[in-house]
Amino acid sequence: MATVTFEKPLSPARPDWQALAARAGLRRSAGQAALLAFLLLVSVPIILPYFWMLMISLTARTGGVSTDVLWTACAVIVPAVLIYSIVHSLVPSPRLRLVTGLLLLAIACTLLVALIGDRLHFDNYRFLWRTNIVEEIRSKATAGGQFPSVWIAFRNSLVLAVSQTVIIITVASLAGYYISRFAFRGREAFLQGLLVLHAFPAMTLIIPIFLILYWVGLLDTIAGVMLVLATIELPFYVFVMKGFFDAVPWDIEMSAMTDGATRRQAFRLVVLPQVSVGLIAVAVFAFIRAWEEYIFVRTFLIENKNWVMSLYLFWVADDVMGVDYGIVAAVSVFYVLPSLLLYVFCQKYLTQMTIGGIKG
Amino acid sequence: LGPTAILLFLFFLAPVAVDLGVAFTDMGRTLAVSSFTFENFERMATRDTRLLGALGITAVFVITTLCIFNVTFALLLALVTTSVQRQVGAFFRAVWLLPRMSPSVVYALLWLWVVDPNERGLLNQVVVHVFGLPPLDLRNNHPLLLVILANGFIGASLGMIIFTSAIRSIPEHLFHAARADGAGSLAIVRHIVLPALRWPISYMTIHQTLSLLVTFEYILLITAGGPFYDTTVFALFAYRRAFENGQYAYGAALSLVLVIVGVVAALALWRLMDMKQLLQSPRIEVH
Repeated sequence: MATVTFEKPLSPARPDWQALAARAGLRRSAGQAALLAFLLLVSVPIILPYFWMLMISLTARTGGVSTDVLWTACAVIVPAVLIYSIVHSLVPSPRLRLVTGLLLLAIACTLLVALIGDRLHFDNYRFLWRTNIVEEIRSKATAGGQFPSVWIAFRNSLVLAVSQTVIIITVASLAGYYISRFAFRGREAFLQGLLVLHAFPAMTLIIPIFLILYWVGLLDTIAGVMLVLATIELPFYVFVMKGFFDAVPWDIEMSAMTDGATRRQAFRLVVLPQVSVGLIAVAVFAFIRAWEEYIFVRTFLIENKNWVMSLYLFWVADDVMGVDYGIVAAVSVFYVLPSLLLYVFCQKYLTQMTIGGIKG
Repeated sequence: LGPTAILLFLFFLAPVAVDLGVAFTDMGRTLAVSSFTFENFERMATRDTRLLGALGITAVFVITTLCIFNVTFALLLALVTTSVQRQVGAFFRAVWLLPRMSPSVVYALLWLWVVDPNERGLLNQVVVHVFGLPPLDLRNNHPLLLVILANGFIGASLGMIIFTSAIRSIPEHLFHAARADGAGSLAIVRHIVLPALRWPISYMTIHQTLSLLVTFEYILLITAGGPFYDTTVFALFAYRRAFENGQYAYGAALSLVLVIVGVVAALALWRLMDMKQLLQSPRIEVH
């Protein structure tokens, strides 16, 4: 390396440092701009459909779906966002940024209201209070009695996701703690086995799991699905929790125990608070996973009183697609919202877990 | 530890055993077993002509998705998002994680709307009005392309996350040293980042191959394996045989193949991981 550094002869004339710095800075920001443009470009296919879904759910009426509302909204929002990001990068003072931001927001909102305001309506969300909406759209003969209220599906989903999360948290944290702290016979074998299971795709086992549930009598019950879902994700979470427990210094626990705490107390009062970030991350992740599950619930749940949100949405889409896009979009938005909110607010924790997960 | 062991046993080891057993029976729609045969395997090896097609589709699907999205594009995203401002990068990573976080049914619905064959579909709006081409019907004419795209947009995110944290863990001074030696950005990527990412990349490649091999969730939702059998990958083939045609035993036999592949790949992954760090002896507690 050293040879490379000294090969170039120093230029005899005194270089114009400022010009050089300016040019380098310019090139740097040009490079950054190019990267940003690239990111924007590749992200459009993701953002646009989600945005479209929202627009459909708010504007579509019975019948077809049109995109002109979408393009109008984009024509307002995109420049606003662009201007704001330029302002954001140029203006250093946060107050000024806030002012311009609010100003732009106000302008964008008025423009939106003026351009498409009369087309916005919440009719598509009427499935929330008129529970037999599908029957109203289709005739009673085709869809009669088929669809449960959306709230039943919502409750089922919630029960499934919450109980699965609780199972995962308790079992994974206990197992993770035990693996992280104790030496027991077969520990290595257990860890290795767990690791293989972690990499092993559970999807291949769907047929035998179906049979087992059938034999045990848990087929078509929420409890069955809950157990299955909790288990197939378990190895991963055990590793994540083990990683978090590994990071807790042994001394903390030891000093608690010398102060007279029992092991249980030490675990509950000293160690668990230390890994609360991990617990939250695991909980959120498990919840989102259970909330979105489709294949397993599709296979294991049959009766419509057991439908969870994914099935509800699927069948609604199956039944009224082409007739009423608005309803389908509205159900989708309703369904996405919980996991999206969780994701947005808990992102901080989730990223930490991914890092922990790799180490594991 | 007890609960973990029980759950794992019930829903991991027991299914493998059951699968092994059922694969040798003639279980049909009634879920009753009457005799034990090797017929399923014979059928797999000799008679089922669709199977070959399914295998071919699987190969195309896995290789294309893997090469274009899950590894290459993920790497690109990780590189780009780590070289812009931190918050901006985080924002775009969040955007790319969105499909993974949103429920699969919704995601599939969005794709169905985007590629809607008439002129109202989002893609066709662009195709028709910007490029002036006739509207496309991806779902019926290029179904494989569609499922590759749909899976790829999700698959890229995992690689992106893992590569990002790998890039972050490269010591900062290496970058400074390279800069001081006059390396350009591309040279840094080539000589510092890529070597450091060797293990994550090989890990991701195997991991993603495995998961692409066995997933069929989005395919089932978007094309349902159709039109006809055009997008039925091997895993979906087993699923359809069992749950659509009621040939549970045959489905079990088919998925036994997948189980074996899965075990082999999982073992390979396990070799790749840093076992020493993982198995470091615990802070020993006498009890």
